Amino acid sequence: MSYLDLTIKEMHEALVNKKVTPLELTKEAIARAKSDNNNAFETILEDEALAIAKELKEPEVDNLFWGIPIGIKDNFSTKGILTTGSSEILKDYVPVFNATVVEKLLKAHAIPIAKTTLDELAMGGTGTTGHKGMTFNPYDEKHELLVGGSSCGSAAMVANSIAPFALGSDTGDSVRKPASYAGLVGFKPTWGRISRFGLFPFAPSLDHVGFFTRSVEDSAIALSLLAGRDLNDATSSIKPVEDYASNINDSIKGKRIAVIKEVIDSLNDEQIKKAFLASIEALEKQGAIIDYVSFSLKLLEAIYPTYMVISCAEATSNNANLDGVKFGPRYEGNTYQEVMIKARTNGFSELIRRRFIIGSFALMRENQNDLFLRAQKARRLIVNRVNEILSNHDIIYVPAAPTTAPKINASSDRLSDNYLIADNILVLGNFAGLPSITLPIALINNMPLGGNLMGRAFEEKLVFNVAKALENEMGLYNLSARKVK
Amino acid sequence: MNFEAVIGIEIHVEMKTKSKMFSSAPVLFGAEPNTLVRPLDIAFPGTMPLVNKQAVINAIRVSNALHMSIDNELWFDRKNYFYSDLPKGFQITQDKRPIGRDGYVEIKTKNGIKRIEIERLHMEEDTCKQLHMSNYSLLDYNRAGTPLVEIVSRPNIRSGEEAMKYVEQIKSIVQFTDVSDGKMEEGSLRCDVNISLRPIGSEKFGTKVEIKNLNSLSNVEKAIEFEIIRQQKLLLAGMPVEQETRRFDEMRKETVLMRKKTDAVDYKYFTEPNITPIKLSDEFIKNAIETCPELASSKRNRYINDLNLSEYDADILLQDKAVSEYFDETIKYNANPKLLVNWIMVDIASYLNKNNYSISDLKLSPEHLSDLVKLISEGKISSKQAKDVFLDIVETNASPIDVANKLGIVQMSDENAIMDLVIEALNENPQAIEDFKNGKDRAVGFLVGQIMKKSRGKANPAMTSKLVIQELKKR
Repeated sequence: MSYLDLTIKEMHEALVNKKVTPLELTKEAIARAKSDNNNAFETILEDEALAIAKELKEPEVDNLFWGIPIGIKDNFSTKGILTTGSSEILKDYVPVFNATVVEKLLKAHAIPIAKTTLDELAMGGTGTTGHKGMTFNPYDEKHELLVGGSSCGSAAMVANSIAPFALGSDTGDSVRKPASYAGLVGFKPTWGRISRFGLFPFAPSLDHVGFFTRSVEDSAIALSLLAGRDLNDATSSIKPVEDYASNINDSIKGKRIAVIKEVIDSLNDEQIKKAFLASIEALEKQGAIIDYVSFSLKLLEAIYPTYMVISCAEATSNNANLDGVKFGPRYEGNTYQEVMIKARTNGFSELIRRRFIIGSFALMRENQNDLFLRAQKARRLIVNRVNEILSNHDIIYVPAAPTTAPKINASSDRLSDNYLIADNILVLGNFAGLPSITLPIALINNMPLGGNLMGRAFEEKLVFNVAKALENEMGLYNLSARKVK
Repeated sequence: MNFEAVIGIEIHVEMKTKSKMFSSAPVLFGAEPNTLVRPLDIAFPGTMPLVNKQAVINAIRVSNALHMSIDNELWFDRKNYFYSDLPKGFQITQDKRPIGRDGYVEIKTKNGIKRIEIERLHMEEDTCKQLHMSNYSLLDYNRAGTPLVEIVSRPNIRSGEEAMKYVEQIKSIVQFTDVSDGKMEEGSLRCDVNISLRPIGSEKFGTKVEIKNLNSLSNVEKAIEFEIIRQQKLLLAGMPVEQETRRFDEMRKETVLMRKKTDAVDYKYFTEPNITPIKLSDEFIKNAIETCPELASSKRNRYINDLNLSEYDADILLQDKAVSEYFDETIKYNANPKLLVNWIMVDIASYLNKNNYSISDLKLSPEHLSDLVKLISEGKISSKQAKDVFLDIVETNASPIDVANKLGIVQMSDENAIMDLVIEALNENPQAIEDFKNGKDRAVGFLVGQIMKKSRGKANPAMTSKLVIQELKKR
């Protein structure tokens, strides 16, 4: 047992009681990062981390992030530090400013250990498409199983106890799905609760800053630090920041929880279904009132195409700055078009180019009504249904994934006939911009499975409260690959 | 066959706000290239747009001056296309919901007052500036993100004269509202003209040609006049007008082909997701309008109705906003308005002209100019003497009375004092009295001359002459 295996809160106590120093934690984290073989890292920040750790002498009792090793997904801008988005086109890009969340973590004296890998430009859910190749699930030494994406490196880092916290970004389910596969608590708040300034945009109307921890309380603690109005992000909320961990242990007696019938019906793995139903019983045991509600199969089936159209359309525009003129390797050409075409053809993988084309196609004048605007209408209908359910329920509870970590190559970005409702259900949280948390509810054949709770806008406290009750009941607190293996 | 021209004009106006449309980089002209740049202006990944409040206030003011209805919610859209001068690969503009809609301006033409309808006014950001060299291009991002308003007229302009008057009006409005320098020659007001011809009486539009790069009011008129004749010739010869973009060649005084237009570019507009709709309160809009600097049209009414200036004088003053402001400041000290206009438009104008100054370089304060004009209207100095005083004070801004005293040219306008000199002169020149009685009028002039000598030139000539005649008649 190492102090690095603790949660943020426990590690903080150890630091305050001087049982361990930031430098000791940092050295061990660097050592673990270097010996990690899951391809979790774009850049290990050895010199930078040690330099920060050496400066940290007197623990700050009220600052829970003081001296805590952390990971940062490599689509967050870090001043003076390579930030690649795991894409060839940004392989040499060194930003001139810090993302607001990075700045907040640095001000709190957290210690960034590494920039973590992702699916190229955060587009993808497998963790296999970054320019450095696949990222593996630390629970599977044979490297046959996905950790999920797009925040694959951050998930692998926290699951392997290299840090108790890592930043991720979540546009469809890019934090909350890998959290399920990697036995972690993965959270994203209400849209606008955390500044997105400095996060490479994928689809801003769906993009959220999220993060991984190994306990629900750590997640609440992290939100208290990262939330808040930011003058650099006009979409950030002016609502006051709360102490999100303060009522975390309140009873959830009488809280109304909606479970979506169609999602349970769609689960075709009996073990998964059983585990999920057991977690529902656990919530009931804690006093919650469970309602099985029908969402609308038609709307649920519309989630994935709606998501693809909107996210690809926004993505094609957001990444139009990467044109070889300002960003990306420079190729010579006789016209500006030639320069751009060469840079973009060489700079993006086939998968990304395909998404750009889908997005462009959806936005074309002759297609906009049938595709982009129709998708916006579908999104509106889906969100209306979510809000309808939440008008008389506190929480919507779903399995975070229809399976435990799937085999590499079993999953693909391409459209298939095998449409799985439970595979795309977390996108509801992005469409509606609602707070959503994944936490481990079972280990099946030593592989974790997560459940996901979603609450009303800006009711993060209630979401953490219910999640904590579920965590207590399931007993899968501070899970890590090191422990389970 | 007789044709009628159908002309619509798009005007881009660069606003002179302190900072850019969506970033905090300053807006300044003539700075070193690429020094007025924030990460957003070069589209660094992760940067986000922040709407410039003053730009919104400006857009409201211009919309109001153009009698437009003003949207109470701000929406922005992305206009997507790839071009080397476009940092983000899209421009943030207002496509679906422009801040101003359905307005008009009235212009004065040879044939009377005409109302030109305006379809929309929207805010957007400028691109960066490109300098194309022989085998490479240079990019200057200082201009990238400069706030613009675009004003789109309906196609109900019919001639080069109307077009010129229309642009002149818009220029005056953006200048008087302090929204822009409105300098066509420097590109802070740019206009693109769409023009087509159709047989008179026809409702159908002909093929339209776009004319770009019109850098002066007179070029707007000339280019359109030329283009009407060019298209007319084509149509009369049975040849089609091609859809194309042309520019005006100043030397040749004709429009020349820039590029053929194929299908219009698809800009794939969609709502900017990083700016959530911004509600504009009635109070905010009202305040923007109420605090707007006075428009030329309102000043014109004031000059004509309150100050009794002629239309001609009023229009001359209003040709230059700074000049009208100088006039407004000076008139506060209650000088005679007509006399003041003359001084500003003749003496001051020629002084500025000679020295290649603009009115902002003028040292002479409004108060002292007013004092000078008052010395003349009160008869204390003659207009001719005033010019000597002016030559001094325009350089020094000294008090005109002090200067007149120093030069010894303050007129003697005290009737009793002059009368003493008149009596003295008459007594000394009995012959002149005789001459006068014999009908020789030049005796008056002789006597006035004598009195001038006695007063060393200070006696008010008009008053002296009057008193001499009055006294002669008594003798």
